[in-house]
Amino acid sequence: MAIKGSKAPGGRVRLVMLMLGAAMAVLIVRLFYLQVVQADMWKEKASSQQMYSTSITATRGNIYDRNMKTLARSVTVWTVFISPAEMKEEQRELVASGLSEILDVDYDMVYEKSLKTWRYNETIKKKVDNDTADEVTAFIQENDIRGIYLTEEAMRYYPYGNLASTVLGFTGSDGSGAYGLEAYYNKALSGTDGVIASVRNAKGTAMPFSEQQIYDAEDGQSLVLTIDETVQHYLEKHLENAVQEHEVQNRAVGIVMDVKTGEILAMSTKPDFDPNEPSAIYDTATAEALAEQLEEAGGDEEKLDAYYEALGEAQLAQWRNKAISDPYEPGSVFKLITASAALETGTVTGSTPFYCPGYIEVAGNRIACWKAGGHGNLDFVGAIKGSCNPAFIMTGQALGAELFMEYLDKFGLYDVTGVDLPGEATSIMHSRETMLNENMASLSSASFGQTFKVTALELMTAVNATVNGGYLMQPYVVSQVLDSDGNVISSTEPVVVRQVISEETSALVASYAEQVVSGEGGSGARAAVPGYRIGGKTGTSQKLDQEGDETILSFYGFAPADDPEIAVLVMLDEPQKNNQYGSVIAAPVVGNILADILPYLGFEPSYTEEELSSADMATPYLINYGLQEAQSTLVQAGLEYRVVGSGTTVVGQTPGAAMPIPGGGTVVLYTEEGEKTTASVPYVIGKTGNEANRLILNAGFNIKIEGESLEHEGCVAVAQSIEAGENAEIGTVITVTFEVQGNALPD
Amino acid sequence: MAKKTDSPRRKLMQPAPGRMDMVFFLVTMMLLVIGLVMLFSASYANAYYLLGDSFNYIRKQLIFAVPGVVAMLVISRIDYHIFHRLAYPLIGISLVLLVVVFFMEPINDAHRWIYIGNLTTFQPSEIAKFALVVLYAHWMSINPGSVRTLPGLAPYGCVLGVFALLLIAEPHLSATVIVAGMAVIMLILGGLNLKWLGGLIAGGVPAGLLLIFIMGKWDRLMGRVTSWLNPGADARGDGWQTLQSLYSIGSGGLMGTGIGNSRQKYLFLPEPQNDYIFAIICEELGFIGATLILLLFALFIWRGFVIGARARDRFGSFLALGLTVQLALQVLLNIAVVTNTIPATGIGLPFFSYGGTSLMMVLGQVGVLLSISRQPKTEEPEEETP
Repeated sequence: MAIKGSKAPGGRVRLVMLMLGAAMAVLIVRLFYLQVVQADMWKEKASSQQMYSTSITATRGNIYDRNMKTLARSVTVWTVFISPAEMKEEQRELVASGLSEILDVDYDMVYEKSLKTWRYNETIKKKVDNDTADEVTAFIQENDIRGIYLTEEAMRYYPYGNLASTVLGFTGSDGSGAYGLEAYYNKALSGTDGVIASVRNAKGTAMPFSEQQIYDAEDGQSLVLTIDETVQHYLEKHLENAVQEHEVQNRAVGIVMDVKTGEILAMSTKPDFDPNEPSAIYDTATAEALAEQLEEAGGDEEKLDAYYEALGEAQLAQWRNKAISDPYEPGSVFKLITASAALETGTVTGSTPFYCPGYIEVAGNRIACWKAGGHGNLDFVGAIKGSCNPAFIMTGQALGAELFMEYLDKFGLYDVTGVDLPGEATSIMHSRETMLNENMASLSSASFGQTFKVTALELMTAVNATVNGGYLMQPYVVSQVLDSDGNVISSTEPVVVRQVISEETSALVASYAEQVVSGEGGSGARAAVPGYRIGGKTGTSQKLDQEGDETILSFYGFAPADDPEIAVLVMLDEPQKNNQYGSVIAAPVVGNILADILPYLGFEPSYTEEELSSADMATPYLINYGLQEAQSTLVQAGLEYRVVGSGTTVVGQTPGAAMPIPGGGTVVLYTEEGEKTTASVPYVIGKTGNEANRLILNAGFNIKIEGESLEHEGCVAVAQSIEAGENAEIGTVITVTFEVQGNALPD
Repeated sequence: MAKKTDSPRRKLMQPAPGRMDMVFFLVTMMLLVIGLVMLFSASYANAYYLLGDSFNYIRKQLIFAVPGVVAMLVISRIDYHIFHRLAYPLIGISLVLLVVVFFMEPINDAHRWIYIGNLTTFQPSEIAKFALVVLYAHWMSINPGSVRTLPGLAPYGCVLGVFALLLIAEPHLSATVIVAGMAVIMLILGGLNLKWLGGLIAGGVPAGLLLIFIMGKWDRLMGRVTSWLNPGADARGDGWQTLQSLYSIGSGGLMGTGIGNSRQKYLFLPEPQNDYIFAIICEELGFIGATLILLLFALFIWRGFVIGARARDRFGSFLALGLTVQLALQVLLNIAVVTNTIPATGIGLPFFSYGGTSLMMVLGQVGVLLSISRQPKTEEPEEETP
């Protein structure tokens, strides 16, 4: 290669320029590929890390009872997360040990997450309370830690736990309503989340001077319910006791309604659940069975699947609001409907005579009356009182299928009630053709409440109309919707669906129903509450669509019987123990509930002389009363008193306010704080009424007699509510149950 | 090596007589101004978030840019033949500094920087590159035949080998590649037999890799290669930077987001003011703007070659070509790295990347090129045949 002249050879210069030019061209092509061909892909990837939208969570509205007691509210909880990308390497162990200690989480879990240095958000723990969150903040500050963050979230809190849980429902993990009212009113309750959309830097903070769009959150509305926490509490207490005492297999339902407005004052299905922890199983037997199943499953996947399926079913079962979701055969409670229709149409009057031989032939089948040997001669009022099946079959047949169905329809039994709760089931009724069949089999069984199904709420709404003046009221649980500032947005006014029967007929039905409870030999006698006029109707229904002799026992009670305002329906699905009649088991539950809620709701008891001397009454409220005032109150109510302490103001009382006390019983008044006086409960099982009475009164207690009337011969105590030998406060009412073997009881 | 001069003895400090190459000067000034503007745009977010002062980087860069331009103009008036004399002192200083650097605090396990108080840092490799160009130009001009014999090539190889050894030990792979590439290209320009070139590459590349392996830098190299092939797999280290760089470049699209509007500079792309500044340029100015800047660099390089071709003597020619090649390699390698065309190595983009001493070195080298341009051949450059 010749070198001419004094400088580098031109050929070599061109060669190098060519090489460099080629390299430059390659790079420009590469840029074209990245910036033009692949531009969209890179833009998308880039903006997914640059764009940042923070949602402003709308605060979910509260749920209040009718007296503005908070049944559900949202509380602030914190989610703690770490940003490994920002965390200093040497602080990882400190972070892991600090967080695992404060948050009670696994050290290794935190440490492993802290190693994911490409991540900006690794959740460590959710639902951390304010105090713990403060501890984390202090930990961050003390140790100057980078990469631990807390975000605020709203959690639903139900201060009363299980109370009204099947009505309230609960919220899911995303904070939206999953069940019950929370689901039905989810849109109103949840409000609208706001959003801040912004471009952010890699540290997650919004960039200065960048466009930012803010959409404000609109906080959720609050609900004021018709539910009364106190009434709900009493209902649940007695329902729970009944479930336990009678070993109810398929849950029990209780509803308390204002018969004039359709407001639901209380509604419960037991056993239920705690909406604060809805996934746990609250029925002890079911929970134990599941735990056993899980243990047995071990690592077997198939068995585990079966376990999770069973768990899911158990959860769904306990969440279900049986009062509106499970239609059942209403049994004899329904007789009030048949009676209303028959009285309204003039098919029968109260004095229409019937003869009950103990059975009736329908379409070639013999349908038995519950009373072996029959009621003999009786009038229509007697048929209601004694719940005579043959008399009602005759009434139904006399009414005729067309009219019967017309009234079923008017009472809303072909429809749903339209209550503002999710999951209301429709009734299961005979078809028109079946009802019109000449053999009248369906008409006959339907006329005393068998072979068709309605929900408890639907039945109650219809029966309310038979006693409230004839008005079918639409039931509801939400009385007011409030905006986030507490202003009333909307109020629910009672809705009269229609007038089904005349006020006169209704008054008649109510008065006949009162006979059921207070009349001589009335089937609902056990629902009686001293000092109140109670009406009602028992119900026992065979589960005809099931094998075996499972029954549903129910009782519908209302008060005051002369001007009905409050009604209670209790339905026990498959009680096992003492498997008898609604009159024995369900009626006293309703009686107990009424005894608690009527004084609370402001219904003044007025005792007859007889009641004053012997019958149970509700203990007056005496706390904070002056001693003299308390004493005169008790004397006026026909009660004795005993004062413990030397103060002048009552600070405690036994029995407690509204607790039942036998007429003439002794109320112990405590005038000073301090130890209450107790005594040992005597053993009365096997004793006669007189003996038991003497033993208990002498020991300083009050006695309440349950079960068979003491006049029966050979009647002895079979149970006492507080075991012998236990110490109890003097004045405590000890319930003693008396029983005579082999005695038939009315349905 | 025999010492002959190809030029008459003259006063080395006398001012260069002719006019400097105005095209080259203007292109340089354009690159400098655009570079400063883009440096400010790319750096202010980082400066704001990490240093609390948006103007931190641009202020420091200006502190060096202004005296840098003055120095460039002063150097352009100095007769470049002074570097004949300075060739060995520069090599000596370079070697000393390349050893001194090992006693400095390493950054990211690499000894590349020498600290001048708290004021600034500089990389001895910058001086070494310049010294090597000067030495090669010196040798190739005083003994044109040296590159065409194997014994003649030995000194070139020895000096390159020592430099490469020290640079790999730092470790500073990018500087090694630039120094080696620049040396080879200068030898090609000097008339190296192209058959030998094949041998040189066939022998030199494995030798270099072996050297890297022996010196325990193999993992470092392979790490770079891995994250080059799949930046997503190693998102923590270079992978993250590479990926963010691609996000920046790609999201610029054809027209770009507009100057100042990069989103990637908001802490996504690490140190956007340094080696990866071109990614921000791509994002803000788009394919069109980025290509225009590349063409401006092409013009700069082409003009550097013209200066080399028109130089009045072999020394000026080789010095101009060597310096141009060195800057061209830096530009090409930087952009190749930023676009993930080759594995990542730390090379700044001349005129754009933050770094005061580096900018001054570049401006100084341009000053030398301008000085050469003042002494063109008297006659028009003849077209030479190889």
